[in-house]
Amino acid sequence: MRKRVLFLVISSVVIFSGSVLIGPEVINPFSLGGTDRTIIISIRIPRVVTSMLMGAALGASGAVLQGFLRNPLADPYILGLSGGAALMATTGILLGSTVFGLFTIPLFAFIGSITTGLLVGFMAYRRGGLWPERLLLAGVGLGFLFSAVLMLLMSVSSDEGLRRAIHWIFGDLSMSDWSLIPYGVVIIILGLSLSLWRAKALNALILGDEIAHSLGFSPFKERFILFVSVCLMTAASVSLGGIVGFIGLLMPHIVRFVSGADSRVVIPLSALAGASMLALADTIGRTVVAPMELPSGIITAIIGAPYFLYLLRKQEILGR
Amino acid sequence: MNILVMERVSFSYNERPFIRSLDFCTGEAEIVALLGPNGSGKSTILKLAAGILRPETGRIMLWNKDIFSYRGKDRAKLISYLPQILDFGLPFTVKELVSMGLYPYDIAPGLTVDDALAMVGLGDRADTLIAELSGGERRRAFIAMTLLQGAGLLLLDEPMANLDIKYQLELIRLLKGLRAEKEISMVMALHDINMVHHFDRVCVVKNGSVVAFGRPLEVVTEELLREVYEVEIKIYPQENGTFLFGV
Repeated sequence: MRKRVLFLVISSVVIFSGSVLIGPEVINPFSLGGTDRTIIISIRIPRVVTSMLMGAALGASGAVLQGFLRNPLADPYILGLSGGAALMATTGILLGSTVFGLFTIPLFAFIGSITTGLLVGFMAYRRGGLWPERLLLAGVGLGFLFSAVLMLLMSVSSDEGLRRAIHWIFGDLSMSDWSLIPYGVVIIILGLSLSLWRAKALNALILGDEIAHSLGFSPFKERFILFVSVCLMTAASVSLGGIVGFIGLLMPHIVRFVSGADSRVVIPLSALAGASMLALADTIGRTVVAPMELPSGIITAIIGAPYFLYLLRKQEILGR
Repeated sequence: MNILVMERVSFSYNERPFIRSLDFCTGEAEIVALLGPNGSGKSTILKLAAGILRPETGRIMLWNKDIFSYRGKDRAKLISYLPQILDFGLPFTVKELVSMGLYPYDIAPGLTVDDALAMVGLGDRADTLIAELSGGERRRAFIAMTLLQGAGLLLLDEPMANLDIKYQLELIRLLKGLRAEKEISMVMALHDINMVHHFDRVCVVKNGSVVAFGRPLEVVTEELLREVYEVEIKIYPQENGTFLFGV
């Protein structure tokens, strides 16, 4: 197992360096000229860092969510957090709002996402706590509502607005720069620390509320903390670069193959694997049809969807 | 000394009274069966005793202290509960599962995961996925977890449900062995009346109240079974003290 974990770490480092150097123009790291240097520092590194932050947040949230919802098919977006973000971001894009300058759309997305989290939490609350089934259903229900309103907005919008909105929704990293990264880092590290701090409780919750209680944990309290951590990480990820599917669903499953199901290992490794996967997908997206760019959400879905279907067929992977 | 005492405990589901003024107790190193038909309240009594459900009236004392006055981790070192259906959403290995028994502890106590696995006869299955275990092995893996937890009182909801007679006997032997070796008390909801002679005491429950409580041979009579299960059951005493029931 240690070897496989080491392999995962090394491949992430390789992907990071590769992603920074590969682009429409491959840059030789040993002869950095003035322009190359600028490209690397102010365009490529922030872009790769952003994709890795997003991927890490999604991978970790997926691992946490699949655990406390006790559902191997759960994905961070199932709680409707992405739908809320997309609705708000699209509204911002279509209105052409620039009230907060460069931060406008990410901030809109973050507010949409966190508000959805509060709504889902409110709907899922009953008799003293959050219930997994209610969280799922509330998330799916709100998600449907938001996507309907989103479609409505898009169907009455101008072509240019529509194109930009679609680009955002599928995960657009072409605008990444250093400005958002510090906020992303803080929020994602906060969410990640919360979930790692409660990783033992998460393991117990996977066995059911009653056994978690028997092991000394308060299921409602633990689920609440974990829910907050997922909301923070997912909202931050969506705000950084839109919606990127399948990372949150897939990475935790792949990691569990490698490392077993202990959340104390699965959460950090899913973050690492998610970061690598999205950096890789984004590098593919901006190179295969250069100078055009494919949104990374499309790449992860093209790789992810078939794998997802394969998982669905191979049920023993899901532990039953 | 009684380690668990339930006094005049009442509980309702959705405002429908379910457990009515129930009295129950367990002593040290004692194995008690909760017997009664479906819906009589056996599982609810166990969940109340575990502190999972909160009684509306009455009190539940664990080692002479109100169960709700314990911190979660401290309670977990005294009492352990296993539900009837042992479900898990993700692929844990036996070792990963069993080691969760150490979660209430900051410093691991004497017993190790390997010891606990050896005690339940799963010494060679540490790296197997729980999903790959048979029903009986899975039950034993969860019991190994509770052993590591070190609780002196084990609450088991129908541990023998869905097990073949061979595994039922294996399990009851294992539990009796643990009682003898580690002086663990156990309260078990029980479906199969043929098993009652394995228990020190039997508590017969109907409609959320205790109908009879005592030694199996004294408590379980044809008359009582007729009253509780509403069918005719014959008891044929055997030489070795066991029963056979027939309709």
